[in-house]
Amino acid sequence: MKGFIVALVVGLAVMAAGSYFLVEPLGAQAAAVLGYLAALLSFLALVGGGKALRGYADGAEPPEAHDWTRYFSFDLDHKVIGTQYGVAALIVFLFGGIMALIMRLELAHHGLQFLTLQQYNTVMTLHGISMVVVALIGTAGSFGNFVVPLQLGARDMAFPRLNALSFWLLPPAVLLLLATPFFGGLDFGWAAYAPLSVQGASIGKMLFILAFITVGFSSIFSGVNFCATALTMRAKGLTWMKLPIFSWAIVCTAVIQLIGTSVVAASLIMVTFDRVLHTSFFNPALGGNVLLYQHLFWYYSHPAVYIMVLPGFGVLLEVLPTFARKPLFAYPLAVAALIGIVILGFVVWAHHMFTSGMWALLKMPFMINTELISVPTGVVFLATLGTLWRAKIRLDSPMVWALAIVANFLVGGLTGIPLADAPTDFHLHDTWFVVAHFHYTIMGGAIFATFTAFHYWFPKMSGKRLNETLAKVQCGLMFFGFNALFIPMFWLGTHGMRRRVADFPAWMDPIQLWISCMSLVVAASVLVFAYNIYRALKDGEPAGDNPWEAKTLEWKAASPPPHGNFRTPPTVTEHPYDYGVAV
Amino acid sequence: MKNKSVFPFVAVVGGLIAFGMYKAFTVFPTMPLQASVQAESVDGAWNGLLIVETSIYALVMSFLLYCLVMFRAAKREEQGDKFDRSRGRFVEVAWVLVSLALTLSLAALGAHELRALISDPSADIVVEVHAQQFSWEFYYPETKQYGTKLFMEKGKRHRIVLTSKDVVHSFWVPEFRVKQDAVPGKAVSLILTPTVTGKYTIMCNQLCGWGHTDMQGAVEVDEHDDFVNNTKASDF
Repeated sequence: MKGFIVALVVGLAVMAAGSYFLVEPLGAQAAAVLGYLAALLSFLALVGGGKALRGYADGAEPPEAHDWTRYFSFDLDHKVIGTQYGVAALIVFLFGGIMALIMRLELAHHGLQFLTLQQYNTVMTLHGISMVVVALIGTAGSFGNFVVPLQLGARDMAFPRLNALSFWLLPPAVLLLLATPFFGGLDFGWAAYAPLSVQGASIGKMLFILAFITVGFSSIFSGVNFCATALTMRAKGLTWMKLPIFSWAIVCTAVIQLIGTSVVAASLIMVTFDRVLHTSFFNPALGGNVLLYQHLFWYYSHPAVYIMVLPGFGVLLEVLPTFARKPLFAYPLAVAALIGIVILGFVVWAHHMFTSGMWALLKMPFMINTELISVPTGVVFLATLGTLWRAKIRLDSPMVWALAIVANFLVGGLTGIPLADAPTDFHLHDTWFVVAHFHYTIMGGAIFATFTAFHYWFPKMSGKRLNETLAKVQCGLMFFGFNALFIPMFWLGTHGMRRRVADFPAWMDPIQLWISCMSLVVAASVLVFAYNIYRALKDGEPAGDNPWEAKTLEWKAASPPPHGNFRTPPTVTEHPYDYGVAV
Repeated sequence: MKNKSVFPFVAVVGGLIAFGMYKAFTVFPTMPLQASVQAESVDGAWNGLLIVETSIYALVMSFLLYCLVMFRAAKREEQGDKFDRSRGRFVEVAWVLVSLALTLSLAALGAHELRALISDPSADIVVEVHAQQFSWEFYYPETKQYGTKLFMEKGKRHRIVLTSKDVVHSFWVPEFRVKQDAVPGKAVSLILTPTVTGKYTIMCNQLCGWGHTDMQGAVEVDEHDDFVNNTKASDF
């Protein structure tokens, strides 16, 4: 807290000095960048990064804090960092959800109700970027950090200090986003298309770009860390073909983070240069190229949806065999599918640009590549259905959530095909059909997977059990509300409802009101969730080490696992999903 | 093979799901009025996809439901069947090959319609559409007329040449299906052949700033005589 206040003061001081000494047109934008850099560095140093760096240089073991304050410090334990990620994701999720409810309130009726167009754009952009952050860190950041070292049988991540840095880059970025409405708001959506993002003197837009870059660096660091951890820290006997599928999914995610995020970070730094130094990468008035930004942005931002969804596939395929009491069907093929998605994911980006004015013939290969990605995605469904075939299904809460992912993602995947198909995309592009589609994949797939992971691993993380009935009620409410909300949006999209607009023709009123009501059902399900956590932490029954009778390594540690995870380094001999009776 | 009842179950339940979706698509048509030649190409591709996707959805959901009904653990200690991996090999290979074939044929259908949409650049009427925050302007270079409204002649091929003065905008008339971004710094063309007379709305479909919501324009498709009458004035 002290660090945060000092950093804020330092940042504002630098910003004020900057805008006094620097001459317009360099002034305000440059002052904002310098002020933010000063604030970020002093914040990281004061929150404990300085001490960690000094300890690293001296070769000393980091001191251990054991009370609750460790969750607010630069702690190096992967379980603390995983929890920090989880809580941060939940806070950002609540914020993004409130932004969504504000939008739904505005969209309950045609015309403008209580927001101006400016305010609507800002709210919509903040909803978009905060939910993107949630989807990026919700499963990979929190459960990846908490569970993967345990599944590997490791004491911690390969680079604990880098891990803490990945997390502590997030709070400044989130605060920066929260500040944007007070510095002129945002008019460009989370994609920040140039030249809209390089034009206009709004400091809010500058802060948004800086926040995006910061999240990008956090993501790159965590990608490095997961790759190194999986490569070097696996327990004795844990060969790649015995690696739990969730860890596989996180490794694949980390590879995308490494390759893709650097590109978007670079392109946003170019946007910063365009704004501050008046370079002309993307400004057509000065000879810049508008389509270049879109190519660079989507080169990351399409693979980014796999950063969100692959951990979800991992969770799904991790949970299914445990509750089907059967080995994961086609495990090697499922691993190949995850790798296939990583590779194909990098050659499909221009399907976001079918109407952008790029060379017409380029649409052909990108259309075919994009449709090919349904083959590895289909394998995930094969593994799912094959695992359920002749299983003995236990309908515990994580399984109920996992089944909801299957039903949602099936719709999400199928509605992706008309968007991959260039002719139909000419009509559907940037309509609510797209909005409904990506909510089915990102919310119905990735966010539902985060809830699945939560219900599956919460007993391990806290040592307490959640209430099963509440968990299933929440799942039911959210599943119903979500589907009732987004199915009509497909239809509105094909009938002329554009993305990112605050108003619509009057004939849409009844459907829009229905959607707004259903968004309240989803909100209610989140309240049930919050109560369930509160109840479990206050007086949940003890979970025991292995409440689901699972076979992966994390269940061999105590609940919650102690510092260093395992008393003796574990050895692995059998396959992680060796359930069932031979026939 | 045990559990042979899966076949009739999937046939009946899957059939019901598919029939229900088909009914829903007829009661609530999936597309608005079809008012251009290009819309026929788009809707052709769309209807093909709709049939394939409805079938896949019905198959997967009915199979999933069958598993949920038939393979529940009555007691917690019950365990599922552990097969020898070789028994699943055939299913794995077949699944991958079938999905690959299906995907490639969908891509071929899409490529076919795409070619129809982009291969022929010839046009009877050229209209320049100038986009800017937050309005549209129309210019007919052959007659050197400016318009505040886009007049089009039914049955004629129009080349819409899109340019932008500031940021990226996008030209979309839902009834015509096809859309195209207007990119600052370059001119991009779109071929449109309207087939139904009437008044439609042009909507900007690319977030272009505060006023994006209100960036709409009017388009009117007329028979030949009305078109000539409406575009008679020096500017209109």
